[in-house]
Amino acid sequence: MKRVAVDIGGTFTDCFMVWDEHYIESKALTTHHNLALGFREALQAGCAKLNLEMLDVLSQVDSVRYATTLGTNALIQRKGPKVALLVTAGFESSVPLSRGRGYGEGLDSRSQQDLPGACRPDALVPIPMIAGVRQRMDAVGNILMELDEDDLREKIRDLVDRGAQSFVVSLINSVVNPVHERRVQEVLLEEYPEHLLGAMPIVMAHKVAGRKGEYVRTSSAIIDAFLHDVMYHGLSSLELNLRESSYKKPMLVIHNSGGMAQLNSTDALQTIHSGPVAGVSASEHLAREAELGNVICTDMGGTSFDIGLVVEGGVKHYDFNPVIERWMVSVPMIHLVTLGAGGGSIVRYDRMYGTVQVGPTSAGSDPGPACYDRGGLKPTVTDADLLLGYLSADNYAAGAIKLKTARAKQVLEEEICDVLDCSVQEAALMVKRRVDANMANGISTELRAHGYDPRSFTLLAYGGNGPLHGCGIANQLGIDRILVPPFCSVFSAVGAGNMHQLHIHERSLFMWIFDSNSRKLYNDYPAFNKIVEELEEAGRLDLLRQGMKREDIRHHLELDLRYGNQLAQTTVVAPKMRLERMDDVMAIINQFSVDYGNRFGKGSEAPEAGIRINTIRVQSFVELETVNLSNIIPSGTVKSSPKPTGSRKCYFVGHDKPLETQTYDHASLPVGAEVKGPAVIVSATTTYLVEPGWRVEIGEHGAAWFLRDGAEMPKLGKKSKAAKV
Amino acid sequence: MGKMENSEVADREKMLIDQFLEDNVLFLGPDPEIMLEHDISPRSEMEEVALTKYVDPAAQALIRDRLQAGANESFEMLEQMGAAPGAKWGDLITGVFTASGDLSVCSAGGVLIFASLVHHPVKFINKYWKNDPTVGIRKGDGFIHNDARYGNIHNTDQSLILPVFYEGKLVAWAGATVHEGENGAIEPGGMPSAAESVYEEGLKMSPFKVVENYELKKDLVTFLQNSTREPKLQFEDMKTKLFACRRMEERVLATIEEFGLDAFIASMRKGLEDCKVEVARRVSEWPEGTVRSMVIADSTLRENVMVKINLELRKEGDSLICDFRGSSPEFANRCNNTLLASLKGMLAQLFLVFVWPDLPRNQAVFAPIKVIVDPKSTLCSSYHTPNAQSMMTFFPAFTATQLAVAKFMYSCPEKFSKLIAPWHNMIRTFIWGGITQHNEMVGNLCADLNGMGGGARSDRDGEHAIAPIFAPMADLGEQELNEEEVPFVQIVSKKLMMDNQAFGKYRGGQGYEMIASSLGSPLWGFMTCCIGSKMSSVPGLFGGYGAPAYPLCKVKGVDVFEVMKTDPRKFEFSIVDIMNKRPFAGASYTTHHTGMQFEIAKRGELYMITQGAGGGYGDVLERDPNLVIADLEQKLISHETARELYCIVYNPDTLLLDRDATEKARAAERMSRKKRGVPFKDFVKKWSTQEPPADLPFYGSWGRDRSVIYAGPYGGVPRRAMSADAIEAIYMPNPRDVRIAQLEQRIKELEQSKNA
Repeated sequence: MKRVAVDIGGTFTDCFMVWDEHYIESKALTTHHNLALGFREALQAGCAKLNLEMLDVLSQVDSVRYATTLGTNALIQRKGPKVALLVTAGFESSVPLSRGRGYGEGLDSRSQQDLPGACRPDALVPIPMIAGVRQRMDAVGNILMELDEDDLREKIRDLVDRGAQSFVVSLINSVVNPVHERRVQEVLLEEYPEHLLGAMPIVMAHKVAGRKGEYVRTSSAIIDAFLHDVMYHGLSSLELNLRESSYKKPMLVIHNSGGMAQLNSTDALQTIHSGPVAGVSASEHLAREAELGNVICTDMGGTSFDIGLVVEGGVKHYDFNPVIERWMVSVPMIHLVTLGAGGGSIVRYDRMYGTVQVGPTSAGSDPGPACYDRGGLKPTVTDADLLLGYLSADNYAAGAIKLKTARAKQVLEEEICDVLDCSVQEAALMVKRRVDANMANGISTELRAHGYDPRSFTLLAYGGNGPLHGCGIANQLGIDRILVPPFCSVFSAVGAGNMHQLHIHERSLFMWIFDSNSRKLYNDYPAFNKIVEELEEAGRLDLLRQGMKREDIRHHLELDLRYGNQLAQTTVVAPKMRLERMDDVMAIINQFSVDYGNRFGKGSEAPEAGIRINTIRVQSFVELETVNLSNIIPSGTVKSSPKPTGSRKCYFVGHDKPLETQTYDHASLPVGAEVKGPAVIVSATTTYLVEPGWRVEIGEHGAAWFLRDGAEMPKLGKKSKAAKV
Repeated sequence: MGKMENSEVADREKMLIDQFLEDNVLFLGPDPEIMLEHDISPRSEMEEVALTKYVDPAAQALIRDRLQAGANESFEMLEQMGAAPGAKWGDLITGVFTASGDLSVCSAGGVLIFASLVHHPVKFINKYWKNDPTVGIRKGDGFIHNDARYGNIHNTDQSLILPVFYEGKLVAWAGATVHEGENGAIEPGGMPSAAESVYEEGLKMSPFKVVENYELKKDLVTFLQNSTREPKLQFEDMKTKLFACRRMEERVLATIEEFGLDAFIASMRKGLEDCKVEVARRVSEWPEGTVRSMVIADSTLRENVMVKINLELRKEGDSLICDFRGSSPEFANRCNNTLLASLKGMLAQLFLVFVWPDLPRNQAVFAPIKVIVDPKSTLCSSYHTPNAQSMMTFFPAFTATQLAVAKFMYSCPEKFSKLIAPWHNMIRTFIWGGITQHNEMVGNLCADLNGMGGGARSDRDGEHAIAPIFAPMADLGEQELNEEEVPFVQIVSKKLMMDNQAFGKYRGGQGYEMIASSLGSPLWGFMTCCIGSKMSSVPGLFGGYGAPAYPLCKVKGVDVFEVMKTDPRKFEFSIVDIMNKRPFAGASYTTHHTGMQFEIAKRGELYMITQGAGGGYGDVLERDPNLVIADLEQKLISHETARELYCIVYNPDTLLLDRDATEKARAAERMSRKKRGVPFKDFVKKWSTQEPPADLPFYGSWGRDRSVIYAGPYGGVPRRAMSADAIEAIYMPNPRDVRIAQLEQRIKELEQSKNA
């Protein structure tokens, strides 16, 4: 297998290259003005490790895959065209009002509570750019009022006069009958034909999101339209650049659904958060290959802490209404939770309880923690970590940033020690304990809300601060095993290198599978099967268009079910793709009962209230060859006790006095090496803190296993051929 | 017998009598000792011991965070599993209570007032059922409750309360509350305004055991299902609340396992005590003084009368005193009465969301604040008066307090949120009921009530239709999902309405219009329940305007769905256009106050209401003209408003501002104001009277004298003047009888005129 996968982040462009049995990681600074430059630099760095020319590599790889934050950045910077919105008359304010709660979407709980301070985000489509179209469809798709085309043409012209550069059409109940949305598109094309310079992109909402919910569907379409140009130009210029460098296949773009597709089958909206999602996907692959069981993936950086969930059995956890930047949308996206906790989280004195508070506000990278000595005046988690002895003042980030211990001490004394009358180390320990608890609570809430016990999980810790706080988090959760994954500094790119081509199509409906009033079970199998067939066909066409072979295409049927009139929709993987007899219906009901009971508690199931299908969803995919990561578990036979590079005093939670702690250089630790805590292992990108009561074993590709005393390394059922680096 | 012997006999007899009375109680009604107290309970013995053993504040904070995460988790679960529209769109909450019953930790989302009132039924259960051999409190039990007289807002909100035991000892309580809607009242939807007695308000559940061994008791569930119009909803949500409480119980027990029982108890208790101290400290920094405010509720929901909500807010040292004496007397046969506990719950909400949103959501926040009311006033109603629509008096009380607090906060050195004009305060929505397109009998309400307009801030405009006063992050929902489940169409759905604004230097957030019509049901109806149709219920701040008054509009005798098919151009997507242009021949166009009792709506008839605006801040003449132009561009205001009210001069075609002319126009208006003004003594002479005007249906004190409470006249019942310490409940005549009397009088006059 020969493959290139790239994750373009805000600061770095990460590259992961597979060249037969060689796995290469490389990095370069992201070049925002022209993404191709950063990409080429990263790729060239990788090629150099193999002594290959970039053109040779690109001419031979089976695919080049991209995960990018381009769309996220454009949204944050509000960099996009002037979008006009056509909605059903009477619904002109749905988007400006954002369901009321839109003011708080994407904010922390404290900000959400503060109603006097509430402010909605600046609109992507301001009110003057919204017009109501005279038409109306009812809930089942009957036309209540025909489309008034004369009125429509007037509205379109008015919006164009106001400077519209792109149109979104989002009419009520269009997912059950899109005839009016299609007609509006035709009228727009009649008025502004595609071959003329005045032509404008048109996004029909029912094409972007197939589920009911006029606000979330319209938001999705707006973001899609807003990002379309910037994504199209950014990605197509990358593709063009690749073609000029001997790459002849279509470029593949990573989707936030956990799959990927060619540019011509990608909505701009699907690329948002694709980097973090690729990280979850890498975790999923790793868990499967290394037979890790349930995994919680955590990415702790400078400002935020991302949590993703990977469980055994292939059940994927989606957000069907994720929040993108500040807007709730309606696209299936791999479930991710972000907390305001990172190295830059600011520490404050909590006057009421006489203790410390950490986050969610962050000093970010500018000015950054006080110890950076770049003007930061508030103590942060990184300052506390430095004062506890975990970080090396001279060798932080491979010596790129020199840390000032005196600054960290000064700000912590001013903010905490003077008020609490304690030493800086006591204060720093409080900070460490609190921030670890905050992250542990986030993980615990997340897992338990999905019906899982954290103690049955392996904690996957990546990101700049993950290996530093992993033990602290695991201590609070009762987790015995932490894995710092292989290739952890380009982990999302690894995920991009393992994804399959995938398309999701879904249909909203109101279908009683058990009607408790009439006490009837669903038996119109042909009607159900027809919907599934149509969704399969849509996915099949997507994949055929991208050159996939018909015989390689697989489908996966999911149903969103609910009891009675609940809001909860439990996604059940249907055992069969078609309904043929009552046994099939009962199998779905039983599966629903099991999944629901696991999530909300045994006995909470309420079939007496009836069971409804709200969404039928078909995933269409083609499985491609993947990277072999099964060899990350040390064999257990060859263990060495490496030589430390030095030692220093570190302070730990639960220990009154500092402990003499040995330090190691990560690069010099061989596979199979075992380091007992307390210890600090320093790598170029992060610091591994092995707390007392823990040990670390080093695996292939830089993987590091943190094991609590008494805990065992997972046993791999089958051994695979090792890949060479 | 000697004196000593006499005394012994007397004591013994007293004991006998007391024991006899204690053993022979006919009925355990609400306990005033529980209901009148809003402070946290005295430390229990268990708490005293725990607090001496466990003193580390940092560790206590970790425990509270852990419990907070558990409460949030169970909240999310409740929201997901709940079947009531209220549960789906944010009208719910979960919380953890101390063993004594004080709310200690509460979910970050949801309606705080629900949880802040559940301590009353928990304390009732502790006091009366714990040692009662026929009831008792055991592991796995669960108690249901909805009667506001035992602690709640009104009986559409149902709570489930679960005791948490550890090693056989009662250590905490878990509670979950949801606005359920339907409850078997005289009108569907759970908030009857036609109820003339508590017995017409639907289920009135004093706290009783409905769960044993973590199982709902089927006989009781069946009884409750049989008592409401929505048996499916009643069953589903009882189960949902039970499992949300169980999830919280699990979290509490896991916390105890990890940190120890003493640590848990100490954290729960210390959190409350610290919070109480912090509130007193914050209050102490306010300027000393008294601020008076008043809001008039213009309706009982059955008739338009003036119900006075009177407030004197005093700050003395570290005490804050909300003195509501002088407010209207209670109404014996109207459901707009507020129980004192409900009032306090709502005020707690004010301080936690609008004044100190940074504080933890627990019972101690309101503990240091004192509330004074006249007994048997409409803010301290008695046992037999209905209260299903208590919001009609306690929301105005909230607003009166918000207004007064803002005046203190203006010169307060440390603020914890923005200084703000009053939020909109009415539940402007459709309550509905009938048979759905899926052939189910239902009764509930739309989430449209969650879009109350935000008040203007001291530095920026208010946010349009953003959140109800009682719940941050509540949800307006999605109309497509509503139409899937219930048989009516919102033809105009939450569309911002021109000039529906409280004007000011910074304007309040605007409200929207809604036009609804029944479609696809054999039997369907609507009701609405708001005050503020004749007189605004939301004032402005520091010269800002109040919200407008909002009528209910109806078009009957038409099927607009036929019009849409046959002559669609006739349909107007605006209340103002429909009411002014009257496009449907033969139809009737009427306006009403928004206290509409449940009414059957035929297919295609229009019911039109408006969501309200938040109050404005500061003088309109100080508004930045560019902001006025921006409002014009967004069609939020009319040209008339821009010209006449904000006094700006601009080109109406291009909206180009003429700055100089605007300055002159504003200077001229200032001069004109001076000319229109009168000296204060002349104003007093003209407007100040000893009593309310004789024909004014007025309820409450008049002027500064709060010792006399007036009531009436209304509907032929003459005015009464009562001493504030001897208020008697007011009986209102049946509006139908009043109307008949008016018509008969008119007939008489016509006959006399004819004969003459």
